[in-house]
Order: sequence, then C-alpha cells, then structure tokens
Amino acid sequence: MVLVINETYDDSSHEDAGHPERPDRLVAARAAVADLHLESDLVVVPAYAASRSELVRVHSGNYLDELSAYCYAGGGDIDPDTYATLDSFTIAKYAAGAGLAVIDELRRRNDGVGFVAARPPGHHALADRAMGFCLLNNVAIAAAALRSQGERVLIVDWDVHHGNGTQAIFWDVPDVLYVSTHQWPLFPGSGSVNEVGGHHATDRTVNIPLPPGATGDVVHRAFDEVAGPVIDAFDPTWVLVSAGFDAHRDDPMADLRLTSGDFASLSRWVSECAPESGRVIHFLEGGYDLGALRSSIHASLGAALGQRHDGESPSSGGPGTEQVERMREARRTTIEMLRADDEQGSGQ
Amino acid sequence: MKPFQNMVVGYDGSPDALNAVTWALDAARAVQANVTIVHAIGLIEHMHEHLSRDTLPTALVALAQECDFDTAALQWLVEDGDACSVMLRMTDPPVNAEVLVVGSRGEGKREGLLLGSTSLELVEHSPVPVVVVPSRFTER
Repeated sequence: MVLVINETYDDSSHEDAGHPERPDRLVAARAAVADLHLESDLVVVPAYAASRSELVRVHSGNYLDELSAYCYAGGGDIDPDTYATLDSFTIAKYAAGAGLAVIDELRRRNDGVGFVAARPPGHHALADRAMGFCLLNNVAIAAAALRSQGERVLIVDWDVHHGNGTQAIFWDVPDVLYVSTHQWPLFPGSGSVNEVGGHHATDRTVNIPLPPGATGDVVHRAFDEVAGPVIDAFDPTWVLVSAGFDAHRDDPMADLRLTSGDFASLSRWVSECAPESGRVIHFLEGGYDLGALRSSIHASLGAALGQRHDGESPSSGGPGTEQVERMREARRTTIEMLRADDEQGSGQ
Repeated sequence: MKPFQNMVVGYDGSPDALNAVTWALDAARAVQANVTIVHAIGLIEHMHEHLSRDTLPTALVALAQECDFDTAALQWLVEDGDACSVMLRMTDPPVNAEVLVVGSRGEGKREGLLLGSTSLELVEHSPVPVVVVPSRFTER
C-alpha cells in the first residue's frame, strides 16, 4: 500500500523563538516517514495553497481578511498561545491545501493512506478566530471539501487537547461525525461528554474526556465502547484523523501516558472504520517532544500501512476506566433529553 | 432594572487587567455585588503554571484591601482555555455572571490590532453586558 504525503513547503518563517510549535516538528515528521523505508510506495503530491473559495467553506471572509492583513503588517502575538509572522497566512494556506491535494491523489488512486505533514496545526481554529497555535482549520477544510462532493466524513481527533474548532464548525452538520479523545480538564476547556451536537446533528459529536494519567488501554476501550457504535451507525465514506501526538507520555504539554505502541493500535482501529483503501488521511496536529513525535508518527503510519510495530509497547493501568463506563449512559441520556426538547418545541 | 449580583473580571497579570479588577471591585462595592476574578490557563501556561489554582494572588489580596472590598464576596477561579471562551463560560452556571469586565488589552498585545482582541470577541458573543476598562482609566 502507498503512503500519499504532501510535498515539503517552506514553513521556516512561521516561527517564534522558544515557541513549542516550531519548524523542527515537521523535520521530525519527515524523518518518521523516512523511517518507514517506503521507497516507491511513497507518493509525494505537489505543494498547493488552498484558494479563498476552499477556505470560506469553513472560515468567514472577514476572518480571512483580518488574518491576512495582520500577517502582511508583520504579524505578532494573536493571543498568549498563538502567533503569526509576515509569512504565516501564506504558510497556513499551504497547510490547508496539503489536505486537499492528498484527497485528490487518494481519490485518483483508490488506494493507500494519506498523511498531511503540515503546520501550523488546525483543530483549535474556529470559523472566525485563531487560537491554540492554530490559524486555519486544516482538517475541517478537508472535511468541508469532501462534504461538497457528497461524502460522509468521520473525523477522529486523538490529540490530547479537545478540537474545539472542528467541533464548533461541524456542530450542526449531520454528514460529519466528530470523535475526540482528550485530557480533561485541560485547554481549551470544552469537550464534555454532554456536548453531542446541534439540533440537526444530535449524536454527530462524540467527546471522550480522560483524566490525567490515562493510558492507551483506556483510550482503546473508549473507542470500542463509546465511539464504535456511533461510527458503525454513521457509516462514513472517508476517515480523517486529527493526529496529534501530545498524548504521548513524554510530551511536555499534557499528562496522558500513551506510547507509540498505543498510536499504532489506535491507527489500526481507525483504519478499519474506512469503507475501502484510499479513504484515510492523517493530519498532523500537536506533538511537541520531537522524539515522541517521530516515533509516534512512524508507529501510526506504519500500522495504517500494515507494517509490524516493534517500538514501544502499548500502555495500560492508568485511570479512567470507570469514566468510560459511565460515558455511554451519559451520552444516551443527553441525546434523549435533547430530542425530547426538540419534539416538545416542534409540537408547540 | 434589577441590580446585578455577580460580576466576573478577567485577570492575566497585566497592568490592564489590574486596572480592570480595580474598576470591578469599586463598582461591585458600590452595589454590593460579588466579584469572581478568573484567570485563563492557555496551552503554554499549562506547562509551567505560575498562579496558584487555590489561592488568590497576593497582588489581588492587596488590591482588595486597597479598594476596601470584603474578601468574603470575592472568588478566585483558574480555568483551562483561552481568555474569551473562559469568560463566556462564566455566564453559565454555577457562576452565572451578569456582567463581564476586562481590560482593554491583555498581556503581550499590540494596541490598535483587532485580531485576537478578547474585549471585541466578548462584546460580539457575550449574552450579558461587557465592561471594557481602557488602559488610560486610572481614576478611582
């Protein structure tokens, strides 16, 4: 099976001295791909900057104008976490376009796995606001493009932080299912199990908040027991992964205890959600320890390609099993209440 | 108009935030309202939190004394998230803020920029009145 990856573009000028979201992250990602030794099974698609018409499927025109003007004026700190430089808007458009280019190639081949090695990351970016290191929501822009082609898109977000931007963008959209595992409490503070989607998409958001110290076995159980039945019922035609690796036990940004072996295992699980080959794309989100990032990307892509994992073993024994057991019931109760409210509202 | 009981003010340690807290304490004392001072913990700050989640910072204790504000009516909250989302969450239970107060520019911001302005975002999205205390406001 081939790995389809976007061509390297020059992201070096989207950098803020000492900031954890830095160009070396993409160097680590590329090294992880090289570690797979794919030779002719590695397909590189040309770099592509997303057009305005592709961006406005997700972001407001006003926001794009403001972000563009802000960058061209020299940039600066947008908030205590998020920065932009003179070139950031251009670089962000290449990050967003990378997903679109990979989609086109996978569609043409009907085979393989996609990997979008791009930065800045995207899953915190809202329709009208940058936040959490993110300027444009790369995975959402790809999902919106697929929606426009009539596809049903599953987004699995295993970054340690809840993807509040992606959730908000597709909150009331019935043909996108958003599933997130994340540490809670933690930035951005959203991602409660009771957040299940809007009135037109009540059950299209699945949040699995996990306590600090949770290990891979807990995440796996949550995938099996909470997300699995919803995904089966949704029956996606494409699967996009917001693949952050800051849930790794070595990452400095958070407190989950996953290993590269866990990411291999989760990647295999997610691959099985796709209806056929050529319908899974991994998008790089977080991951700030370069060693953990490299080994985890290698493990997850290797697993998606069917390679044997011989790195870190999967982790187990952390807290969170009891919460997972309560999540299905909590979701069911919330959805029933919302639907009852809707019926009551429509009956009046 | 019913007088408000719960005022929430954002605090990021900047001089503008201290200015906003001062205004909030003075205003709340005048109408006998409670004040919640909330600090938002972002992605980077989580790596090295410098404010206690349990104890009001000494600068704010001193400010409350200076403002002659009863500390029994003062609550300190540290919440995960960006400043705007955290402030908006304060309008929901259990805090139920009736007024949100922020300084005009937080830490590390350049004057005159619209992008990333917490105060503008709040004015656009808040369901309750928002008071933006300008940097130049120092009268008490």
